[in-house]
Amino acid sequence: MGLVKIFYKDDCPKCPLAKQLRDKLEERNVNVLAYNVGTADGLAEASFYSVMSLPTVVVEDAMENGVGEWRGDVPKVEEVLTAIQSA
Amino acid sequence: METTDLNLFVRTSEETISDWDRSKIVDALMRETMIDRDTAMSISRGVEDLIMKSGIKVVTAPLIRELVNAKLIEKGLESARKMHTRLGMPIYDVDSLILHPNKENANVPHGPEATNLTLAERIKKEFALLSVFSQDVSDAHMNGDIHLHDLGFVDRPYCSGQSLEYIKKFGLNLPHSLSMAKPAKHAEVLLAHLVKFAAALQSNFAGAIGWDAINIFFAPYLEGMNDNEVKQLAQMLIFEFSQQAVARGGQAIFTDINLYWEIPKHFIDVAAIGPGGTFTGKTYGEYEREAQRFVWKLFEVFKDGDGAGRPFFFPKPLVHVTEKFFKTEGHKEFLDHISDVASDKGNTYFVFDRGDTAKISECCRLSFKLDEFDLLDAKEPWRMRYSALQNVSINLPRLAYLAKGDDTRLFNLITERFLLTVKAHKEKRAFIERLLSSGEDGPLSLLTMNRDGMSYLRMNRASHLVGMVGLNEMVQIHSGEEMHDSKKGLKFGLKAIAHMKLLADRMKRQENMRLVLEQTPAESTSYRFAKLDLHYFSPASGRAVKGDIASGEVYYTNSTHLNVGAPMNPIERVTNEGLFHPLIEAGSISHVWMGESMPSKGAIADFVTKTFRYTLSDQIAFSPEFTVCNQCSHTSRGLAETCPRCNSEDVDGITRITGYFTKVSSWNKGKLGELKQRYRNNEYFSEEQERKVI
Repeated sequence: MGLVKIFYKDDCPKCPLAKQLRDKLEERNVNVLAYNVGTADGLAEASFYSVMSLPTVVVEDAMENGVGEWRGDVPKVEEVLTAIQSA
Repeated sequence: METTDLNLFVRTSEETISDWDRSKIVDALMRETMIDRDTAMSISRGVEDLIMKSGIKVVTAPLIRELVNAKLIEKGLESARKMHTRLGMPIYDVDSLILHPNKENANVPHGPEATNLTLAERIKKEFALLSVFSQDVSDAHMNGDIHLHDLGFVDRPYCSGQSLEYIKKFGLNLPHSLSMAKPAKHAEVLLAHLVKFAAALQSNFAGAIGWDAINIFFAPYLEGMNDNEVKQLAQMLIFEFSQQAVARGGQAIFTDINLYWEIPKHFIDVAAIGPGGTFTGKTYGEYEREAQRFVWKLFEVFKDGDGAGRPFFFPKPLVHVTEKFFKTEGHKEFLDHISDVASDKGNTYFVFDRGDTAKISECCRLSFKLDEFDLLDAKEPWRMRYSALQNVSINLPRLAYLAKGDDTRLFNLITERFLLTVKAHKEKRAFIERLLSSGEDGPLSLLTMNRDGMSYLRMNRASHLVGMVGLNEMVQIHSGEEMHDSKKGLKFGLKAIAHMKLLADRMKRQENMRLVLEQTPAESTSYRFAKLDLHYFSPASGRAVKGDIASGEVYYTNSTHLNVGAPMNPIERVTNEGLFHPLIEAGSISHVWMGESMPSKGAIADFVTKTFRYTLSDQIAFSPEFTVCNQCSHTSRGLAETCPRCNSEDVDGITRITGYFTKVSSWNKGKLGELKQRYRNNEYFSEEQERKVI
């Protein structure tokens, strides 16, 4: 089972869309971790993933290998699901 | 008893011998401590009695002062005692200083000028801790919770980034100088102005002087010069900055020259200033060829080395690698050229400006990132002068000893220490503002000169640096793993720096000060903190400090670096260390220790390109090691005990200490401990020479 990580900030223009994506993925029982880069935990995780633009969505397989990523953009739910299935 | 009855002489601080006069004590006490006359009289009588009973015939002014201080303590007048304190050094220490070299800063040679510098620094350091900073800040420095850098230069700002355009436009017209020079008409004269101005600036800043885009700003003066003449100018520039052993304290000026192959976007349409300080009618974009010619020749000189083929210690060449760099004609050849120098001599620093980032780099890793206002200033580049007022570093491992494994406590302690550094910055800023308020008649007259409608030192653009030492050991003590051991360890380190970054952002808004994180070079601080923690936090510290405890060669890992001794290929090191760099606004670097290996220029160029493309690293430097024979002047690769050519034992090792090259014999014990443990990428690079695969 894949894991989705969403990086956002309180005041970025496209970030509300990322939060909507999280809600939709959770409705479909996808594991989602959302990180606010305005917190130390969120900023540290974002640094680890070299996140330089927001929002960013990263999909990993069970071994934490990246299987999909969208930087500075929010993908459609289907795109994320396809990435998860490829894991 | 009347003082005139005393057959007593006083050696005063004015180099005279005076008759004993008790009223001088009273005057000094009232003037310096503002206590009432009756108390002052009583103290002076007490001191007189003491001296009379002792039977001594000649007393010194310092002795009298200390006796008065003892009386102030007896009366419980502690604050008055502090105000009455005398600064100075024991005769034993002065004797030792004159005879033995100071190892706190490897860029200070040993000699009478250096001794003067050290003596002055000691007094100013004491003054700073007693008079500039509050008790809690001073105590935190003294006990090693934090380190206030360059306290001996408390009456000046820390480092600066400069523009050659200022002297091109205004000439050399410094306050109180014996003569003024109009703007230079010839390249050689401009160089002379640059060197003189740099020396003047060294007297007004504690640390490095960085010069922005120097090959671009020299370009208008190079038209009509043939290649040999340009090379000659390049030689003059490098030798001038590498041989200034007659400047402050015999120190070479810590000089950085920022260089570009392309003309960066923010200078391309800027009107160029040429001979005589007048606009040439062209833009800098039109001088690309001349700028390239000059930077190429500069690196030819670096490649040749000094008269004995040794690498130049200064100036440090920092080449900015940008997106545009890779689109500019000739970049491949230039990258090979500077990579050749990096491999052979180690001089080249590769500074990565990704996206729209533009910066001026200097010191060991400090950089001033240019924001939108700075880029507006770029239209009039003589305005582009930047300064960091002070650098304060936090001893991170100590916080882990205190937190005893509790996350919440650890992060609270980081916050507390951070707020203390902010307090220290406010106190230093207030002191500098006081000095600046006297204008051109004051002690910082050079920094207050006004030639373009604003003071030379632009306080509104000044930054305040918060550094960190020993993140790796903090993580190790707190979690049991070092940062290179596991993803968990690395992420915990990132969280600590993310916390500091968020604190810096918040305090910047709250205090309206440019507070920024910097990777502290910590040439002596990493040694000092480790030594103090061995004293205060043993036995836990004995398991955490790096180096060799038995020989006293102990240290904490610099800033956010990974353990320097961990066997690791350089790609992994640069990639993982680079994860921290975007959090550290005021500059970071990763070192690639090469030992005696000498990779091909292609391997270095490939490494640099991939570091730019695939990591977030801000800056990298490749550090070879050399042995120089003082008998036969032969320079060989690697650190050896004897000269491979003549077998002489009179040799010096040369390599990079933190952000510059210097002789190993001048290093402090902590850095010597680090040198022994550095993991050299000999194997990696010798294979790479053949395979050229990264």
